[in-house]
Amino acid sequence: MADRVLVTIGTRKGVFVAEAAKARRRFVLRGPFGPGVPVYATLIDDRGTPRLYASSCNPFFGMKVLCSTDLGQSFKETKSAPSFPREDGRALANIWSLEAGDGRKELWCGVEPASLFRSHDGGDSWEMVPGISNHEHARKWQPGAGGLCLHTIVRDGKRMHLAISTGGHYLSEDGGQSFRASNKGVGAGFAPDPYPEFGQCVHKIARHEKAPGRLYMQNHGGWADWTGPGGPRPNIGVLRSDDYGRSWRSIAAGLPSDFGFPIVVHPHDPDKVYVLPLEPATRTCPGGAPAVWRSENGGNSWSRLSHGFPRKQSYFTVQRDAMTIDPLRAPALYFGTTTGQLWIGREGGEHFDCLFDALPPIHNVKVAVL
Amino acid sequence: MDGTPLVTIHLTAPLRPYSAGAARLSIAAGTVREALAQLELNEAALYRNLCDETGALRPHLNVFVNSDNARDLRGVDTILRTGDVVTFLPAVSGG
Repeated sequence: MADRVLVTIGTRKGVFVAEAAKARRRFVLRGPFGPGVPVYATLIDDRGTPRLYASSCNPFFGMKVLCSTDLGQSFKETKSAPSFPREDGRALANIWSLEAGDGRKELWCGVEPASLFRSHDGGDSWEMVPGISNHEHARKWQPGAGGLCLHTIVRDGKRMHLAISTGGHYLSEDGGQSFRASNKGVGAGFAPDPYPEFGQCVHKIARHEKAPGRLYMQNHGGWADWTGPGGPRPNIGVLRSDDYGRSWRSIAAGLPSDFGFPIVVHPHDPDKVYVLPLEPATRTCPGGAPAVWRSENGGNSWSRLSHGFPRKQSYFTVQRDAMTIDPLRAPALYFGTTTGQLWIGREGGEHFDCLFDALPPIHNVKVAVL
Repeated sequence: MDGTPLVTIHLTAPLRPYSAGAARLSIAAGTVREALAQLELNEAALYRNLCDETGALRPHLNVFVNSDNARDLRGVDTILRTGDVVTFLPAVSGG
């Protein structure tokens, strides 16, 4: 069968699947699956027979993990969802991230309250990962506006980067057995100490597999005007590490705002990175004029990409997991908005089209070519 | 369970996939807490929809004993009598 582009769209009212031929001219939409229930995490697992996963975060009846083995024609619940041991005292409030592991059926899952779970059987059973879930800092982390969530899992062999709001960046170098806070250079604006050991509100971390020592971070910026204790802290929102996440430096200069949620790396060039700046006070597009910003030199400078977007009166938010990029030769960006629009940025973001304009509010967008 | 009241658990549509499609279950339980314990023992998948892993009733669920909200009675310690109908309903909230 010819390659197809598959996009999973996690929304406030279930998960949708959009499919197109490789040319990506026209997408066909299926769903919603798990209708009416928020989906914060999806995963297209292309190891072997492809499987699509989606968290189904039911505020009434609890958390579920959905799985599709027919490329998103149908979904069914796995046999169980992550669950804390009863004696732990915590209760699962949300599922924020799903990532593939090493083994054929190994999955990792980040949840709220911030903890990590691992499955060895494709999501049918889960075990809590104590190295981070019971970390000595864990009971000191505070919830951000979205809750106390472990929302990002970036794996690189034995190395694992986790992002927690608000806990900061945690690094494991032993396959997830143990973790340490690794936030040197990562600022916080909501505490007198601008550079605490932990407690930052990291929004997203991304990397390119060919440059594993380099990481990009969208942190909670927007604090340049702060005049209180600790003083102003400009440009803490967009950061880069060149030492596997041990230290970070700002690359926000040149952006209209250092606040935003997603950060995405080009699939073929680790120097190309994309952000979607938002006004810090409103979490909407600066001036009501949406734009993706791209750096082609690892964050030294930025250019504005807005061809195809409305030029005014557009006030959506793009959440941390709602922007991604496909791996094709001329890759396309995809992002979903809280106003239910799914946009595609063809030719690496040179021109944007709205694929679907009336979906439920979008939390999560993932893409794969299968 | 001699002498223990026989009550009916009424399940709303979203819960029926976890009870093999059944809309009603008959169980023996003297209180709502005992009813939940019976469900944990015999209907584990259904129970996980009603209670979190700490054993607490999920916060956005209401439990009615006949037409009374158990919250206005004695909560999960509300006494059940033979013939009572216990209904788990999502609270009217959200958008």
